[in-house]
Amino acid sequence: MEIGITHYLSVGAILFTIGVFGIFLNKKNVIIILMSIELILLAVNINLIGFSAHLGDLTGQVFAMFVLTVAAAEAAIGLAILVIYFRNRGNIDVENLNIMKG
Amino acid sequence: MIIQSIAFYIFAGIIIASAIMVISAKNPVHSVLFLILAFFNGAGLFVLVGAEFLAMIMVIVYVGAVAVLFMFVVMMLDINFVELRQGFLQYLPIGLLIGLILLVELILILSSQFEDPQILAVSSLPIPPIEEVENTKALGNVLYTKYIYLFQSGGLILLTAMIGAIVLTLRSRPGIKKQVIAKQVSRKREDSVEIKKVTPGAGV
Amino acid sequence: MQYNDVPNFLPALPEIFMSVICMVLLIFGVFKGNKSTYLISWLVILSLFLTSLFCILGPKDEIIFSNIFIVDDFSIFSKVLIIIGAIAALAMSLSYIRNEGMEKFEYPILIMLSTLGMMMMVSANDLISLYVGLELQSLALYVLAAFKRDTLKSSEAGLKYFVLGALSSGMLLYGASLIYGFSGTTNFETIQAMFDSNNEPSLGIIVGIVFIISAMAFKVSAVPFHMWTPDVYEGSTTSVTAFLSMAPKVAAMALFIRLVYVPFYGLVPEWQQVVILISAASMVIGSLAAIRQTNIKRLMAYSSIGHMGFALLGLSAGTQQGVESVLIYMFIYLFMNIGVFVVILSMRVNGVMVENINDLSGLGKNNPFLAIIFGILMFSLAGIPPLAGFFGKFYVFLAAVDSGLYILCVIGVISSVIGAFYYLRIVKIMYFDDPVDIFEKPNSASMISLLSISGIFTIFFIVAPTPLISWAHHAASSIIQ
Repeated sequence: MEIGITHYLSVGAILFTIGVFGIFLNKKNVIIILMSIELILLAVNINLIGFSAHLGDLTGQVFAMFVLTVAAAEAAIGLAILVIYFRNRGNIDVENLNIMKG
Repeated sequence: MIIQSIAFYIFAGIIIASAIMVISAKNPVHSVLFLILAFFNGAGLFVLVGAEFLAMIMVIVYVGAVAVLFMFVVMMLDINFVELRQGFLQYLPIGLLIGLILLVELILILSSQFEDPQILAVSSLPIPPIEEVENTKALGNVLYTKYIYLFQSGGLILLTAMIGAIVLTLRSRPGIKKQVIAKQVSRKREDSVEIKKVTPGAGV
Repeated sequence: MQYNDVPNFLPALPEIFMSVICMVLLIFGVFKGNKSTYLISWLVILSLFLTSLFCILGPKDEIIFSNIFIVDDFSIFSKVLIIIGAIAALAMSLSYIRNEGMEKFEYPILIMLSTLGMMMMVSANDLISLYVGLELQSLALYVLAAFKRDTLKSSEAGLKYFVLGALSSGMLLYGASLIYGFSGTTNFETIQAMFDSNNEPSLGIIVGIVFIISAMAFKVSAVPFHMWTPDVYEGSTTSVTAFLSMAPKVAAMALFIRLVYVPFYGLVPEWQQVVILISAASMVIGSLAAIRQTNIKRLMAYSSIGHMGFALLGLSAGTQQGVESVLIYMFIYLFMNIGVFVVILSMRVNGVMVENINDLSGLGKNNPFLAIIFGILMFSLAGIPPLAGFFGKFYVFLAAVDSGLYILCVIGVISSVIGAFYYLRIVKIMYFDDPVDIFEKPNSASMISLLSISGIFTIFFIVAPTPLISWAHHAASSIIQ
């Protein structure tokens, strides 16, 4: 069976869904949420690379490269915020993310 | 062609399986390891369609830096793993339902509707044939010329991330003894050694 | 493929100038330490001012860097507005960050980097440059939200903002990847040209547009993607809240306008439905949920959700008049917000910040100047003539009626009336409730002058509305061919 763009898009869609699912399902651990965000970005990259090969167009690869760059920066900031939250709170339970309500 | 198909299914299967393990593993350390596995196989998929440079970047940047950063934070935060998993099943049915609907919709849309219009003609930046210009060189050719603006902006984003990480987490703790080599070297004998005349028999 | 010619850098002069100044000031700050924060803040304000001059005087109607960076009247209008917001937010926080013990030289630098990201956003002419600019501003904002790092509230606000912001960026990217794949390009104008000739868009394009609009709704904090707004507004330090409520809102709205009016202009019926729904929901939720708030920052969060709903009302018109009305609306909204946040930043009792609405009681007797301007701003936010806020709403409704969106206008008028209730309740608390605490007088000249500018603009907008309207008209006509 020929491997075409549809196969790549399906893998991307499944990964995206798992990532979104991981964000909403996880009620106990923020670090898993950060990893789910990385999964979403991986899904986007697979989409972009698949399209780039299908269209024979290099732009998709350039886009994917900037997604990678930004993802690294985003992970650094996210983990830094997580660390200061942990310092103040003593745990990283999402259910406790509720001192502000209204 | 058959080898390519087999490779695709192996890579895709492992990515999806490890992505599921990332969000459901009991121990965050295992999650990070599964994340690394997913990234490795993602790099495999990239190689299959000829994006070798990005595949290498994926392994170096993601596995080498981001995943290690995650691992570092997981270890540092000293989390109580036992109570972390409680309550996971509580939201599982509704979450599973919504996730399945989203997934089925996405795949239906993407697989049934993808036809090939004349969009290939629009392509402004065709991939040069691999015999003439290899992937890395082709990317390098446009990255520093056509996309110089994006390249510089990417640098600014990394600068922002650096400033942010430092301003948020750096603590200046007073009273820590540090080695200052310049101070040690510039120390003179007169500052530290004092010769006292001690008269014999009188004590100090 | 030859790229021998040197690109034309001049249209990007404001951005280049800002990034160079940013790095120079960063090095200066590293050597001088945190005691130079005050000096660096003023230098940032000065260079932001110079940047706005470069924007106004520089060349326009140019597309450079191989079609990914555009400078037109629309981007200049938005950039000037963004810079005004950033200058005001920084000027009003000078004494605040000193009093709160968060005097770090990175604070003005991060504000400047975020402003730079916003300027890149509104100049984007390509999905990649859009994403890069958006992320530059968002990353700096996540850090600013968590800036008071030793309090739980601020770090929690930062964490919430980060997780939801990163999710929305992921959605934007997924949408962008679909648009790229199904149209074969990331360039806005090429995408637009595709839909002019090819009338039937594929389903993949529509899914991509829905993803992108959801992400943009998140960035302008419109219902149903508004959940983060009240928590982040309350948790961040007040000076950051002031910044968050002004410049990023303008930038996100300008980007929203450019997205739906340039690449997706051929698909008005497709996106109009979504924007109408978002707009109606934001207006209703914004005014209903604000009624039971006791914290002034949460109240302002819901107020901003409602106001974004009104701005989206103009956007959903799908006409040039609609764009014009949104620009006027954002301009007026920004100037009213400056005054409101100066008052919130002066709510100090015995050296401690208070943020309950009831703490405002008796302000009419204790500090008549503050009270009268705050009262006028509240009337203006509620949309009572002849103040500036009324005109903002008026033009938006006019554009919507001309496009036949009658039901949406009725919803808008009703929620405007409900909204008037909680704005006027604040006026009542200030003038008719018994005083509890006496605020310290806002002692800095910058705060007094910002408050005066905001008040004078709000009162006297009716005298000379023409310059703003004609400027907005030029800006709007530059993006719609």
